[in-house]
Amino acid sequence: MDTQTLVETLQLERLEVNLFRGTTADEEARERIYGGQVIAQALLAAYETVEDRVCHSLHCYFIRPGDPAVPIVFDVDRSRDGGSFTTRRVIAVQRGKQIFNLAASFQVAEDGYEHQSEMPDAPRWEDVGDDTERQRVLLKDAPPEARAWLDRPQPIEMRTVGGRMDFTPRAREPVQQLWFRAKDSIGSDPHMHQVILAYASDMSLLGTSVQPHGVSWRTPGFQSASLDHAMWFHQATDFNEWHLYHQESPSASGGRGFNLGSIYRASDGALVASCAQEGLMRMRKPKVG
Amino acid sequence: MTDAVQTLVESLQLERLELNLFRGFTPDGMGPRIFGGQVISQSLLAAYETVEERVCHSLHCYFIRPGDPRVPIVFEVDRSRDGGSFTTRRVVAVQHGEQIFNLAASFMAPQEGFEHQSDMPVGPHWSELPDEAEMMAEFIKTAPEEMKKWMGRERPIEMRAQDARDYWRSGPKPPVSQNWFRCRTPIGDDAHMHQVILAYASDMNLLSTGMRPHGVHWQTPGFQSASLDHAMWFHKATDFNQWHLYAHDSPSASGGRGFIRGSIYAEDGTLVASVAQEGLMRMRAAK
Repeated sequence: MDTQTLVETLQLERLEVNLFRGTTADEEARERIYGGQVIAQALLAAYETVEDRVCHSLHCYFIRPGDPAVPIVFDVDRSRDGGSFTTRRVIAVQRGKQIFNLAASFQVAEDGYEHQSEMPDAPRWEDVGDDTERQRVLLKDAPPEARAWLDRPQPIEMRTVGGRMDFTPRAREPVQQLWFRAKDSIGSDPHMHQVILAYASDMSLLGTSVQPHGVSWRTPGFQSASLDHAMWFHQATDFNEWHLYHQESPSASGGRGFNLGSIYRASDGALVASCAQEGLMRMRKPKVG
Repeated sequence: MTDAVQTLVESLQLERLELNLFRGFTPDGMGPRIFGGQVISQSLLAAYETVEERVCHSLHCYFIRPGDPRVPIVFEVDRSRDGGSFTTRRVVAVQHGEQIFNLAASFMAPQEGFEHQSDMPVGPHWSELPDEAEMMAEFIKTAPEEMKKWMGRERPIEMRAQDARDYWRSGPKPPVSQNWFRCRTPIGDDAHMHQVILAYASDMNLLSTGMRPHGVHWQTPGFQSASLDHAMWFHKATDFNQWHLYAHDSPSASGGRGFIRGSIYAEDGTLVASVAQEGLMRMRAAK
């Protein structure tokens, strides 16, 4: 799926004033729907009920695995239309059950106090290998299906500093840096840049809390899944430009890992968004008998 | 229990109106609008009333409208999922027929697993810091008469700020701060209650850290501030009658909003919870 296809598949059908339906692209049909897709579609559903205001934060829970084979219905609650802020809540439903919820807040653009954390040092994207290219090399002897999966077009270009953990699961510090951007043009709609950034922000974040433990999603018996996702948009950005996604994990405990992310624009070092996510990370219990 | 802690614990007793419907009250003399931490803790308790044996590991809230302390708050719980490992709940708080607040939370049975945590930052120990009353005394001297009693009241949460001695000094300061805090008197051994009162206290002073670089505080004339959201992740159970360090940093202010992250450490350095909050912070437009 290239970027254009992603933008198209995120489009929703309006069933009623506050009710929308979305689908998953056939070519992305895996075991379960990618979390970033549901975040992006739920945010778009909320935007359909908001005028002239920009999303500055969202908070989500992944409640059940999404099924790529059936549509998702998004039910929007217009919690408040206030003087400065608009609040929305969205429930995503499949087969009569909630798979996901999102709450989000929207604000009229205003000026005010400004400060931001500095962009951390990182090797420039020109000097970091493309994640997919690296995986192709590592998987050169893999079965054809696995290679075909890697060869499919991708909407987001990612370059992880030091390479992704997946294929070299040795213990590392719980800090990860990657450069990312939408691979092809998103167009000029600023909402769509924000929505695609939200889509991409669910990639790799969870991996940071796994790093100190020398495992990855490829480790037999290891189970991981995003539990929640929160995002704060500090300023508008063009996601066709390179951004640094700096990730740290302050905690793992009780079968869960907690991660914080900061997204900086490469061209001027502006902090454009912050993220927080907790994920399940545990070894499956060995079957008895 | 002191009167202040007693009052807090009483406000956390909800009346069950129906299976998924609860009603809570605001104690007298708590100011013109409801303190955000109160609604967080009451909503979390409402959710707990519908969950068996599992422990809350995260919550996400929005403050939608100012709460009115004169009328009860009704909490409506949605049982989003009762799963094999996780329970998910959503709570909407209503007053005057309008949503004032929402919370989503997740619960899990305690289990063992991978462990790591960030180090507790270095800073002055609580025993070296003045009590909040001493910090307030400076301000109370010059405060209006009606404010004095309010500022000087006994609080359920004991708070010692790293920079208590120059809290009221104007001028820019870095967007980081440390507070030690704990519940003032023993609240028993109900683990949920310790968690709920920690959630209550986690909404205190957080926004101030976002204001520090800009030389303003919540008493600066014309300055307007309010919590917009609140998220919290509980990494470990803890005894909130013991001192905890609440370390804040604010990575961003822009567009009339400040963003603050918090980490709560037990005195032995264990990271027990993480917090994130965005707040409105702006000067009112001149009339």
